[in-house]
Amino acid sequence: MIFIAILIGCVVGIIAGMYAPIIPYSLSGYLAISIVAALDSVFGGITSVLKGNFDLKIFVSGFFGNAILSILLTYLGEKLNVDIYLAAIVVFVGRMFTNLAIIRRYYIDKWTNKKQKIEEENK
Amino acid sequence: MKKGKKIMIVTIGLICFVLSYVMFIQFKTVEETNITEIESMTTAELREKSVAWRERYEQTSEKLEETNAKLAEYKQKKELNQEASELLEQELLQARILAGETDVKGDGIIVTITDHEDTEKIVSYDLIGLVNELKLAGAEAISINDQRIVNMSDIVDIYINDGSQFIFVNKEERLVSPYVIKAIGDQKYLESALTTKTVGFIDQYSENATLEVKDNITIPKYSKEIKIKYANIKEEE
Repeated sequence: MIFIAILIGCVVGIIAGMYAPIIPYSLSGYLAISIVAALDSVFGGITSVLKGNFDLKIFVSGFFGNAILSILLTYLGEKLNVDIYLAAIVVFVGRMFTNLAIIRRYYIDKWTNKKQKIEEENK
Repeated sequence: MKKGKKIMIVTIGLICFVLSYVMFIQFKTVEETNITEIESMTTAELREKSVAWRERYEQTSEKLEETNAKLAEYKQKKELNQEASELLEQELLQARILAGETDVKGDGIIVTITDHEDTEKIVSYDLIGLVNELKLAGAEAISINDQRIVNMSDIVDIYINDGSQFIFVNKEERLVSPYVIKAIGDQKYLESALTTKTVGFIDQYSENATLEVKDNITIPKYSKEIKIKYANIKEEE
């Protein structure tokens, strides 16, 4: 059920995004950083699901909060003439890799456990 | 299904929608910006580019100025050369006319002198006098019976043994009556020089001479070659 929701959301989003008007290039930097932040939240959410401590409120607030915060930080960096968005990207992407590693480990463990179980049953 | 799960499904679907929507907007924007790069550049980028372009512009305009200066110099040189060559050409033309190297054409007068039975025969001195008076009056080209008179021309009498005499000009050209003297110059000066009362040439030779003022007289070139063997231009010190 949840996968269907994800699929429908993605497909509708892609179609809507294709027909949406483009935004000015000067704003696309903010959008990019917010996308990275949102992706980080998504991977974080997946990790927490796997760990079993997923909380919708935390996920939703993290998704939008991180995106908005990163936009604000980038704007501040622009005003201060410091590339703060670089720091944000480093943090978000680093966390994304960490989460991806956790997800990978989880599934590999699951797979090996399954294999071992099958082998044991065969014995 | 529980209410909480429903909310979760809808929320996650919505979040997926938002994420993919924004991502595709960004993809499109990045793709399109290559085409409309300048329109959508940030002010900082634009400033940077404008500085670079200004630098290039300054360099180019400097070069242009240099080239223009060179061009002006060349033009001036060329004009000077042209002026000099024009002056030279003019001088050459004048010299050629004076030396009788070319046929010339212009307004002037024609004097015709004829031998008469009852007057004295015309001799070289009559013609020399006439030529001198024409030169005095500013004639630029003179001919007698289509023999061009130049500064080296001679007008002499040749006596033959049987007592007859002929007028020769330019060393070997024999003249016979009627003598047609053409002169190109200021028509008023030439005419008045010859028609002075009693002492003028026409009055003196009233029996034999007629004067005609005519436009567009053609005087042929000097038919002999002018050779200068001994005279050299003296170097100025």
